Amino acid sequence: MEAIRNYLETMFVNLPNTPEVQRAKYELGQMMEDKYNELIAKGKTENEAIGTVIAEFGNLDELAESLGIDSYLRKDTYQTGRMITMEETRDYLRDNSKNAFLTALGVLLCITSPVGTIIMGAVGEQFLGQSAIFNALGVMCLFAFIAIAVAIFIFSGVMMSKWKYLETQHCCLDFATTEYVHDQRNLYKTVHALLLSIGIMLCIFCATPAIIADALHVSGYFEDMMGAGVLLIVAVGVFMIVMTSIRMGGYTKLLRVNNQDSMGGQYVDSQKNEHYDNKTVAVIMSVFWPTVSCIYLVWSFLTFDWYITWIIWPIASVIHKLIKNIWSN
Amino acid sequence: MTQISSDVIRGYNDTMILYLLLDEPSYGYEISKQIKALSDEKYCIKETTLYSAFTRMEKNGYITSFDGSNPDTGKRRTYYRITDAGRQYYQQKCLEWQVTKEVVEQFIKKEGEL
Repeated sequence: MEAIRNYLETMFVNLPNTPEVQRAKYELGQMMEDKYNELIAKGKTENEAIGTVIAEFGNLDELAESLGIDSYLRKDTYQTGRMITMEETRDYLRDNSKNAFLTALGVLLCITSPVGTIIMGAVGEQFLGQSAIFNALGVMCLFAFIAIAVAIFIFSGVMMSKWKYLETQHCCLDFATTEYVHDQRNLYKTVHALLLSIGIMLCIFCATPAIIADALHVSGYFEDMMGAGVLLIVAVGVFMIVMTSIRMGGYTKLLRVNNQDSMGGQYVDSQKNEHYDNKTVAVIMSVFWPTVSCIYLVWSFLTFDWYITWIIWPIASVIHKLIKNIWSN
Repeated sequence: MTQISSDVIRGYNDTMILYLLLDEPSYGYEISKQIKALSDEKYCIKETTLYSAFTRMEKNGYITSFDGSNPDTGKRRTYYRITDAGRQYYQQKCLEWQVTKEVVEQFIKKEGEL
C-alpha cells in the first residue's frame, strides 16, 4: 500500500494545491486502495496487486480539463524541476552535517584565537618575569588559529558549493524522500533543542569564571586565566549553536524545495510564510523587523538607556502577532 | 479474447456509469468493478477515466455526489447518485448508440464473408 501511496503522491507532486486537485487525489487514492485490498483478498501477492493497481491507474492528462490543470501538465514544470533522489538527499544531509561541524569549529577557533595570547602572556609574566618571547608566541598562536579557521571555512565552502543548485534551480522531492527528510528532522529536533539551549546557557553564563575570580580577589596570572576561560565558554556555546543551526537548516532547506503552491509543498508545516491580501500591509510587514531593529538601536545608542530599550522587542512581537491575525490569510 | 481499447469506448463511459447508477447510488471502485464484471473482463476502466467522468457529469448536472459509508466494510466513500437530467441524458445516449450501431454495422463484414 505504501508503494501505491508514493506513486500517487509523486504523480501529484507538481500540481497546484487547490481543492479540486486535493479532492481528485483523495478520490483516486480511495479507488486504488479499494482495488488493492480486493486484489490482496483474492490472494494476489503484494507486488502483483501493486503492479495491477498502478497499471490500471491511467493518465493524469485525462483529468487536466476537469481540474483546470491544463497549463500545469503542458508546462515544463510538470517534468522538469530537477528531481532530487534519495541518494542525493542522503549525500546532502551528510555533507551538511560535516559542514555544520566544520563551520562551527572555524567559528570556535576564531573566538578562541586570543586565548593563546592571553595564556602565553600570563605564563611568561608569572614564571619568567619577562614576556617578550611569550607574547610573540601568543601572537603567532592567534594567527595560527585564524589561519586554520579560514582554511576550514574555505574547505567547507568548496564542499557545499556542489549543492548550490538546490537554491538556483527549480528542484523537487518525491513523497518518499520528503517523508524521510521529515522523519530525520523530527528525530533531530530533540538534539537540536538540547544543543541550542545549552549553547545559549553557556553564552549567558560565560562571565561566571570572571565573577568568581573577582569574588576571590585573585589577580595577575589567575585573573588572566579566568579571562581566557570566559572566551572558551563562549566559544563552546557558540560552537553548539552554530553547528545545530546549520544542521537543522539543512533539513528545512530540503523540505522547502517543493513549490509551496503545489501539492508537494504541503508536506511541510514549517514553511508557512506570511501572506497578506492587503498590498500596503504586505509592504509594511516586509520591513517590519528591520525597522524595529533600527528603532531599537537608534533609541538605545542615543539615550544609552539599554536597561529599558529591550521593551521594544516584546511590544513589536505583540504588534506583529496582531497584524498577522488581522490581515494574514 | 481481446481487450477493448479505451479510445474506442471513450464516448460510452458515461453511458455505462449512468446505467450502473440507475437503480441505486454507488461509488468509484464499486462501479469500476461492475463495469469489469458486466463486460466479462473485456473492458477495464482506468481510475483517472472514471474520476474525470464523475467530475464532468457532476458539472453537467447528471449526477450528484454525497458522503456515504459502505454497508459491508463500513468505509466512508464518495457516492454518486443519478439525477433526472442524468436519466434523460442516459436515454439520449441509448438512442444515439442504436443509431451508431446501425451505421457502423453497415460497414462491417462478418467473418467468412471476407
